[in-house]
Amino acid sequence: MPGADLGALLGEVAKGDQAAFEALCSHAAATVFGVVRSVVRDPFQAEEVCQEVLLEVWRCASRFRPGRGSALTWVTTIAHRRAVDRVRAERRLSEREQRAATHSIAYDEVADTVAARLDRERVRRCLGSLTELQRESVTLAYYGGYTFREVAGLLGVPEGTVKTRMRDGLIRLRDCLGARR
Amino acid sequence: MRPRRPEPHTLAGAYAMDAVARADRVRFERHLARCAACAHELAELREATARLAGAVAAEPPGDLVRRAVASAARTPQLRPAVPGPAVRRRVLRIYLPGSLEHGRWPAHPTWSLRSGLAIALAAVFLAAAAASGVTALTAAHRLGTAELRDHQIARVLTAPDAIMLTARARPRGTATVVMSHRYRSLVLTTAGLPPLPAGRRYQLWLMGPSGDRSAGLLPIPRGGMTSPVIATGLASGDWIGLTVAPEGGSPHPPSSPILMLNLTT
Repeated sequence: MPGADLGALLGEVAKGDQAAFEALCSHAAATVFGVVRSVVRDPFQAEEVCQEVLLEVWRCASRFRPGRGSALTWVTTIAHRRAVDRVRAERRLSEREQRAATHSIAYDEVADTVAARLDRERVRRCLGSLTELQRESVTLAYYGGYTFREVAGLLGVPEGTVKTRMRDGLIRLRDCLGARR
Repeated sequence: MRPRRPEPHTLAGAYAMDAVARADRVRFERHLARCAACAHELAELREATARLAGAVAAEPPGDLVRRAVASAARTPQLRPAVPGPAVRRRVLRIYLPGSLEHGRWPAHPTWSLRSGLAIALAAVFLAAAAASGVTALTAAHRLGTAELRDHQIARVLTAPDAIMLTARARPRGTATVVMSHRYRSLVLTTAGLPPLPAGRRYQLWLMGPSGDRSAGLLPIPRGGMTSPVIATGLASGDWIGLTVAPEGGSPHPPSSPILMLNLTT
């Protein structure tokens, strides 16, 4: 569905239109579920978070500002934020951070999981065009749900370096992917 | 790591990927509120992250959408952040007698308001003030600033750019706010909020890109109204929230405010 139509649907959702919400869910659910599952990993929890995300979209639809990006971007931003919040809370609870303390384990784990699901050739190719440090930083942050400080620790690189690599990497990704979908 | 704090701007990439802990998030959002270029860059970076999301799209379990739709049917939606039916905005003009450092005063030693609605709201506001001990508000609706305990409150009420907002609380009650951008301050009163059990108080919050800040506890209501409290240091994009907190106040806003009001005009 073209972004403009999804935006129009979101406008209807904001007015309380449940049919529009169902249509919006049908179009966005795969993206939402995909990104949440990548970050949260546990399928049961992913489903739970996914529910929360869709409900938040329903609740906050009136807060969508078309001028600030596409509707799908708005929805995925909510999904990613929620997934990250969940996985961080989980990590604090289970002290999984200790397990992830070795860079090789964490990165390989995340990269393997993601590689299996990176079914969009173009994104994979563009990720491949990043420098190794950019790619690792972006992958660990976006799909792994780690903070840049954690990524710095995992990679054994200064925090400032990771921070700039994340930004440079995203800019390069954006340029590689092009402005249009 | 580094002895000096680097520019928050460089956090844009990490922020776009939610790769920031709370403190960094707040720091960047504070910067973002003042930096149009950053907002533009962030929007672009987010288009890239959305593509990262799309790349791992996966069919969700069969009934996920159905369950989401069912929950939505039971879930109330947030009102639009722009003025809606429950949020009324009027420019409030209060003219005072006597010497004040701001504004121009008409010959009549009274105050006037632009609309009947605003008069009604202001009456609520002033009655709340009077009921609870701000003695300067006389029956003739004359504000004598010299008698106002809190000069700051008078200053906001009489600011040339004062705006009045009202909002409903859940499950009942209303809050009335007079806000001045010029002084980056607002004065709030409430009416009809449910009485709280001992040890609980209403707490006022400023929330927004600059972070969530407590603006203090509301006074204990008298006659169903709370006397005016002032909140200073308003920042762009702020909301106010009202929560129920323990007697000493809460360091962080709980997730369920009884009232939210967008101050963006």
